[in-house]
Amino acid sequence: MSDDDHQSLKAWGRRSYVPATTTRDGDRYVRVSRGMVLSPRRIAGWLALLALFVAVPDIASLSSSIQQRVLHQGVLFGLAAVGLNVLLRHTKLVSFGHAAFFGTGAYTAAVLASQFDVTSMLLLLAAATLVGTLMAGVIGFLSLRHTGLYFSLLTLAFGQLLYAIAQGQSYLGGSDGLPVRPGEANRATLFGVELSADVYSVVVYYLTVLVVVLALFVMWRVVNSPFGNALDAIGQDRTRAQFVGIPVRRYVLAAFVISGIYGGVAGGMYGLVQQHVRPEATLYFLRSGEILFMAILGGFGTLVGPLVGGVVLVFLQDVGRDFTNYFDALTGIVLLLLVFGFPRGIVGSLQSGSRLRAAVSTFSDDPAIVGEWATEAWTSLWAAVGRARRNLRMLVLGVR
Amino acid sequence: MLKATNLKKSFGQLVATDDVDVEFGREPGEMVFIVGPNGAGKTTLVNLLTGLLEPDDGNVVLTRTDEDGETVERDITNMPPHERVKAGVVRSFQVVHVFEEMSVRENVRTAVLSEQDLLGSAFSFSDEHGGVEALVDDLLERFRLDDQQHVVADKLPHGDRKLLDVAMSFALDPDVLLLDEPTSGVSARETDYVMETIVNVSKAEGVATVAIEHDMDLVSEYADRVVALHQGGVLGEGPASILETDDELRRVLLGVGA
Repeated sequence: MSDDDHQSLKAWGRRSYVPATTTRDGDRYVRVSRGMVLSPRRIAGWLALLALFVAVPDIASLSSSIQQRVLHQGVLFGLAAVGLNVLLRHTKLVSFGHAAFFGTGAYTAAVLASQFDVTSMLLLLAAATLVGTLMAGVIGFLSLRHTGLYFSLLTLAFGQLLYAIAQGQSYLGGSDGLPVRPGEANRATLFGVELSADVYSVVVYYLTVLVVVLALFVMWRVVNSPFGNALDAIGQDRTRAQFVGIPVRRYVLAAFVISGIYGGVAGGMYGLVQQHVRPEATLYFLRSGEILFMAILGGFGTLVGPLVGGVVLVFLQDVGRDFTNYFDALTGIVLLLLVFGFPRGIVGSLQSGSRLRAAVSTFSDDPAIVGEWATEAWTSLWAAVGRARRNLRMLVLGVR
Repeated sequence: MLKATNLKKSFGQLVATDDVDVEFGREPGEMVFIVGPNGAGKTTLVNLLTGLLEPDDGNVVLTRTDEDGETVERDITNMPPHERVKAGVVRSFQVVHVFEEMSVRENVRTAVLSEQDLLGSAFSFSDEHGGVEALVDDLLERFRLDDQQHVVADKLPHGDRKLLDVAMSFALDPDVLLLDEPTSGVSARETDYVMETIVNVSKAEGVATVAIEHDMDLVSEYADRVVALHQGGVLGEGPASILETDDELRRVLLGVGA
């Protein structure tokens, strides 16, 4: 599709508030909602993905190797990563402390449930979101006085501060953490209805699906809005952004708070799912690193990439644990592969215009190209070995 | 009108701006060139006027006529850059500052959205504001960038990048526009094209424009007034003809005469 075609397609998508099922003349495109124009194939793809997402509890009951809990955790950390991605993708700031908001959300739900006996699921979730937002406001206000490395270090420091507090305070359960088991049924209720253990896990799962779909939709609107445009501008040239009239600091703080909201919601949901919150699992700085890794793994240039990255990483870790004691090495290897081979992440590499896509299409045009690739790879490998030998000889024997 | 009085700025021992009094935009569309040798304090002066630097002393006052025809004076000495832009003082940089990953159109759109106070809107699409798109089309045409509107900024030839930078500045509807070397790095063939485009638009819009420029041929051709700086202070000012007649100016700027 040429640029101009793409532009006119976009304009067509913007024109009406009413979702239309009519196709544009000539090309078969469907306007799903205002501003969202998809080809029928993509719609089918999305629907299939959503159906899969919804069917997980059923699939999980069929096979013991697919654990709903693992997927569920992956989705929630992935949701936090979607939030983090506002900073990473648009304002180009790297936060090393995003577990802070995830943990704040989780702990808010836990404290309300165990110390104040709040039983309503929705109330716990709302409170988790609210407190996560406030926390993001405070930490953002203090961290965003700096940019670059110092910003990253400050977010790391604040994250660890919260971790230390959660570890040390007996009110917060210390290193044992707190249960999220309010009321007589020992479980949160939905609209005042007590749920049995089986039903509870399914209900919480579907609540997550609902939250995630809603959160992705909102994020899609935000990043395509003038505000999202302003954040892109700030990320690409901060000085110019100022001299275009953007109150940079205020906007970046807003972006930081938005990313914190996503962390808070995800953390609150996590509390409801796990029914127990520990500092190690929610606030520790390795969690922040993982959330960052998820965004990069899934493709931080895309909207859904971080979510995919979350599911994949948590799944990998779970599988890795079964295979070997060195499962952390597995994530390391994946990260190396990613940086050297697929810097655009999983979703980014599957998009059109990516190197992987290009390679696949050359391959389908002419399968014989594989021979050429192999020769090329061999030549460059041989050259690398040659360089390494020369360097080693110089190190050992000195330059002659 | 932008007026600076007793403006001073030092960096340690170096006095970059030494008690400067200048006025820009005495009449709408006035084209003023700031000239002077390297280190004369030209860029520092522009930085002080636009808020990238804060002066040690002195003040900057912006005078404009409001809708009722009354003259309003605003002291903008310590105003942050983004507020100055909103007040009507806009600049470009010697090294092109544009949003490199956006297309030409998106760059200009960002500036127009800002001028229309729409950047805070989080729940509309950035490309669906009809009025904005019309303004973007108009600017792209005036700056002769419409053929390249879907090209990503960092793939653009240098002369067009300069024009894009200036187009974005014009999109902000300035009263006073300060351009730090709009033709630097532009090939000799293109300098006239770039400067002519800028002057045409600023005359048509009545935007008081101030440009730092080293090319004396361009200055003589396009200047309504020239301000010459030397060692941080104003050495002289007047019509472009002073570059021919003022001996001291000629000695400092061109190294001719005794």
